[in-house]
Amino acid sequence: MSLGDELRYLRAFHGGGNLGEIEEEIGIEPGTLRYIEQRYRRMGEDDDVLAKIAAYYGVSLERLQYHRERYRKALSAFLHNSVESKRIATFDLRTGETLTGRVRWWDLGAFGLEPKDGGPLTVVQRHAVLDWPMADEGDEEDAQSDRE
Amino acid sequence: MPQDLQTLRKQKRMSINQLASRSGISIAKLIQYEKGAEEIPPADLGRLAKALYVDEWDINPRSTPPRAPTPREEQTAKPARSPRPEKKPKEKPKKPRPQSPPARDTQIAHMLTIAARFGINRAALEAEIGKPLDQLTQKEARHWNGHFMRRAAEEKPPRAIDRKRAYLPEGVDGFELAYLQEQQKGDVLLQFTLFDGQRFEGQVVGFSPYQITIREPGGDEITLNKLAIAYYRRAGGQT
Repeated sequence: MSLGDELRYLRAFHGGGNLGEIEEEIGIEPGTLRYIEQRYRRMGEDDDVLAKIAAYYGVSLERLQYHRERYRKALSAFLHNSVESKRIATFDLRTGETLTGRVRWWDLGAFGLEPKDGGPLTVVQRHAVLDWPMADEGDEEDAQSDRE
Repeated sequence: MPQDLQTLRKQKRMSINQLASRSGISIAKLIQYEKGAEEIPPADLGRLAKALYVDEWDINPRSTPPRAPTPREEQTAKPARSPRPEKKPKEKPKKPRPQSPPARDTQIAHMLTIAARFGINRAALEAEIGKPLDQLTQKEARHWNGHFMRRAAEEKPPRAIDRKRAYLPEGVDGFELAYLQEQQKGDVLLQFTLFDGQRFEGQVVGFSPYQITIREPGGDEITLNKLAIAYYRRAGGQT
């Protein structure tokens, strides 16, 4: 989950306040939060700003830094590679579940995952993905045999 | 083939109010477009296509005006009148038909946009039409726009769903849209899992980029906010 999605999630859990008001309360430049929430590239480089945001939402700075590394474009790149390579991919979801399978398609808001166990195609919302660990060697062999 | 705006709206079971709020175009304007009283400019065409989940070329830029009643219908609709005494028809001098005004900039811009889809530039377009674009009348521009729209519909190039997707940016939501349309059409029972672990089952009744409305097996309709959804799939393990 990207930093932007995480901040949207935290804001929703804090009553979904107005971004401008929150920025004023935190004491950061107007537009900073909106910018982080909406952008697809890596955002939130300034740790001091991030620390203020973390304090406002009552979470650790490390938590926000964790999400900063998982920006939306990084997930896009991973999904694109997964489709191209037909490699088995694993996704840790915010629900605590882990889904494993082959990514059949991806777009702006979601991706279609064909589960490894043969269940129905699962449409996963991108904002629900917490992390996407890299596939292991065995999965690569699976993909190779599929391609052959 | 492009269809009239009203036909498309009714197909999507959308009221004119809903279309206005989704597209950001006023109701009065939409009525004009639907009646065919005004041609839909390219900018509005794009907004309407997005709101209706169709391609721009699926919408006829100028809707067919409502059909005039046939003489027979007129006869049944109007109360019988006593025949008027016949008047000697006055011989009026025939007025020359007014010439169509010059094509609007928006018509030309629209034509260039569509032509660009076929790799036709302005010079090639003018050669095909047989005259410079700035000398076209509104009527001619309408004719050529219709021609290119029909051609676009026939030769629809593979877009979004078929193309090899660019790495970035993520610009479309066509795949999820196609999936949902297919499930809605097939009355498929889907199971939705929310962030908090709650699960809902139902058939898709309608959806937008932000919400999905489902009808539960008991008949109740419920609208799920997409932000709250983690994933969904066919219920009961159907593939």
